[in-house]
Amino acid sequence: MDETVIGFVGLLRRNGVRVSIAESMDTFHALDLVGLGTRAAVKDTLRATLVKRGADLPAYDRLFDLYFSGIGEIVKDAESRSRAALDLDPAEYQELIEALARFLEEQGIELSELARALLRQDSARLERLLRDAAKQAGVQRIERPFQEGQFAQGMQEALGVGGAARELQLIGDALGAGDPDPRRQRLSRFVERRLQELQEMIRRLIRGELEQRDLGQRDAARVQQLAEKSFYYLSEDEIRRMKEAVAKLAQRLKNVLAVKRRSARRGKFDVKDTLRKNLQYGGVPFKIRFDRRKRVKPQIVVLCDVSDSVRNVSRFMLQLVYSLQDLYSKVRSFIFVSDIGEITKLFEEHEIHQAIDQAIRGNVINVYAHSDFGRAFRTFHREHLAAITRHTTVIVLGDARNNYNLPHEWALREIKQRAKQLIWLNPESRMTWGFGDSEMDRYQPYCDVVEECRNLNQLYRVVDRIVVG
Amino acid sequence: MFSSIPDVIERFARRHYICNRNIATVVYLASRLQKPILVEGPAGVGKTELAKVLAGALDRELIRLQCYEGLDESKALYEWEYAKQLLYTQILKDKIGEVIAGAPSLKEAVERVAAQDDVFFSERFIVPRPLLRAITAPAPVVLLIDEIDKADTEFEAFLLEVLSDFQVSVPELGTIKAKHVPLVVLTSNNAREMSDALKRRCLHLYIDFPDPEQERAIILLKVPGVAERLAREVAEVVQAIRKLDLKKAPSISETLDWTRALTLLNLDTLDAGLVDDTFSAILKYEGDIRKAQAEIKEHVAKARAAALAAPAGAPDANVRH
Ligand SMILES: Nc1ncnc2c1ncn2[C@@H]1O[C@H](COP(=O)(O)OP(=O)(O)OP(=O)(O)O)[C@@H](O)[C@H]1O
Ligand SMILES: [Mg+2]
Repeated sequence: MDETVIGFVGLLRRNGVRVSIAESMDTFHALDLVGLGTRAAVKDTLRATLVKRGADLPAYDRLFDLYFSGIGEIVKDAESRSRAALDLDPAEYQELIEALARFLEEQGIELSELARALLRQDSARLERLLRDAAKQAGVQRIERPFQEGQFAQGMQEALGVGGAARELQLIGDALGAGDPDPRRQRLSRFVERRLQELQEMIRRLIRGELEQRDLGQRDAARVQQLAEKSFYYLSEDEIRRMKEAVAKLAQRLKNVLAVKRRSARRGKFDVKDTLRKNLQYGGVPFKIRFDRRKRVKPQIVVLCDVSDSVRNVSRFMLQLVYSLQDLYSKVRSFIFVSDIGEITKLFEEHEIHQAIDQAIRGNVINVYAHSDFGRAFRTFHREHLAAITRHTTVIVLGDARNNYNLPHEWALREIKQRAKQLIWLNPESRMTWGFGDSEMDRYQPYCDVVEECRNLNQLYRVVDRIVVG
Repeated sequence: MFSSIPDVIERFARRHYICNRNIATVVYLASRLQKPILVEGPAGVGKTELAKVLAGALDRELIRLQCYEGLDESKALYEWEYAKQLLYTQILKDKIGEVIAGAPSLKEAVERVAAQDDVFFSERFIVPRPLLRAITAPAPVVLLIDEIDKADTEFEAFLLEVLSDFQVSVPELGTIKAKHVPLVVLTSNNAREMSDALKRRCLHLYIDFPDPEQERAIILLKVPGVAERLAREVAEVVQAIRKLDLKKAPSISETLDWTRALTLLNLDTLDAGLVDDTFSAILKYEGDIRKAQAEIKEHVAKARAAALAAPAGAPDANVRH
């Protein structure tokens, strides 16, 4: 079992599930306790000890089924297919197998291990034989579909399929192929069927092995693709990844605070110092100074452009906004084109797709107007400046394409002055900033961080850079 | 100590907690391997309850640390009981006067007082918070660290130290080591991912919404006087509602609240007029309620059609009189 588990851990790792050495040790201890009795118990045990992220659970389930049940399931399926082909219920099927065994005994026919396991429907033995043969033939080395035939041949040799086929042929003859007795006929059909199923089992085992390889490659490709995608309807997985990125981003913003507070962790209480500080109260220690700094919650104000020029990335940007709001309590969100409107409540009360649809569809502000960043900033300055304190991080998401309206950069400057920091994420390629009606150059001096960002990959990069800055 | 996985299931059932094999396996392993369990899952699926029932089943005291943003060591571990210290210095004023009597300088006086500080920073003046209580408890306890995802990452790091060797150091007193390793249950609603380091130390348990069979069993256990038929219908409908695209899917607590409300109204089926008035028990958002209403109507219609198709039997008893 040990080797099997180690193999499985390797498979998990190849599929992006992080498993440490300590955790695989836990698995062994746990399996000692639970035993290998049932598949379900083993599955629960491995899950508890190896898989620590909810997001990895679906992959785990798939991989476990592929890896462990593989052969057992294949053998079981083959049995039910044989039964179905003969149109028998389980009891009748059992009778048939016993009738055949009696017949073989009467005839004094000795069988090889493989032939006996096949005809007696000895699932455990079949499973073991198949497993050993797969190992001997090196099936786990398969990489490409075209190799299936070659490995199938290897397994047939390892199993001795040729010999077994001849044995079954002889039995068929002994049963009298042309015998009109329907019972005899059924027996010989069964024998024939089992031989076919043997080939089928080999084929499926190899296919299963190939799928395990494939899964890893397929997933890797998909993740890459997903990260580069700029606009799209968001899948569950994208939402999850966005959440992760946003959580990281928020951590970065927070860590600045965290570092300060950590250095102020409580040390040994200093009596001398306390007495000194309290001399003015006649020596009665009135003030004791445990250094517990007041906690400042992360406060974020997001201004998100939803104008026509960014329509391809609007969903992405709004999803970012939604995730921020979802994860942190003190976030206020606004969208703008020329008017500016608050969407905090809308996002709080609706599920993500709906919330984004409503924001884009113009339920909050007129989204068909021409972009006017200057006007939007001025309006924000007039109506919402109080939302910004020296603890606030302001995030602007937009392309700064102002339709040659007045940029009113003073408004942005004053917003920035009140805030802790101002971050501008522009979905346009940096090379086009400042050309045409882009006012990015004018706004840039008032930003602490300016980054190009229109998809998850870029967002991850931005997050990494913010920690440095 | 649990003797087997079925033993867990049975002892939990006796405490009105329905648990499937997966939950039971993790609980069994945790108790045997002395490892913390990190329980994740949507709100209201019984994460907190699990810890409570676990304590009951093992006949151990439950010590609970509720996490929140800004939670720090002084709230989690210990605090000096300042008022008491102050009171003592006042009462012992004369004694302190004696100690510093004849000191040639202020500095010397301060030194003399300082030499006595272990009197005031002794166990007598410490207020133990949940973590310290769990560590110093005379008998093994169950320690519930609830909603760890609400605490800050630094607190998580601190917790990690405690969970690694179950000892803490109080600078004024030295190191305190656990007499018994507590059985620890951490819960998280996934507001953020826990660090890998923490996860490595824990067994992981993901509790999802129960299947209809389990949910029906929970309803029957937890809502006294509920009609069998209503329990079944509610369990089915709730499952269907959870599949809708909702802002917030109903949890088990909401299922229970709803069933209680319906039972109070003397209903024993969803096929009744008053049902509409009870939606607020199960869904919190206007939009969600609208979507769910349609779902329930459809369900009721289907059930009715099925009942009609079935051979006419006992008279219909939709509403108790
Ligand atoms: N398996 C169960 N058997 C019996 N009752 C249950 C079960 N699961 C949940 N409940 C009931 O559901 C309610 C909610 O459970 P609990 O408060 O433990 O959920 P939770 O997961 O901790 O939620 P939250 O994330 O909101 O803290 C409780 O009243 C509990 O009794
Ligand atoms: Mg809870």
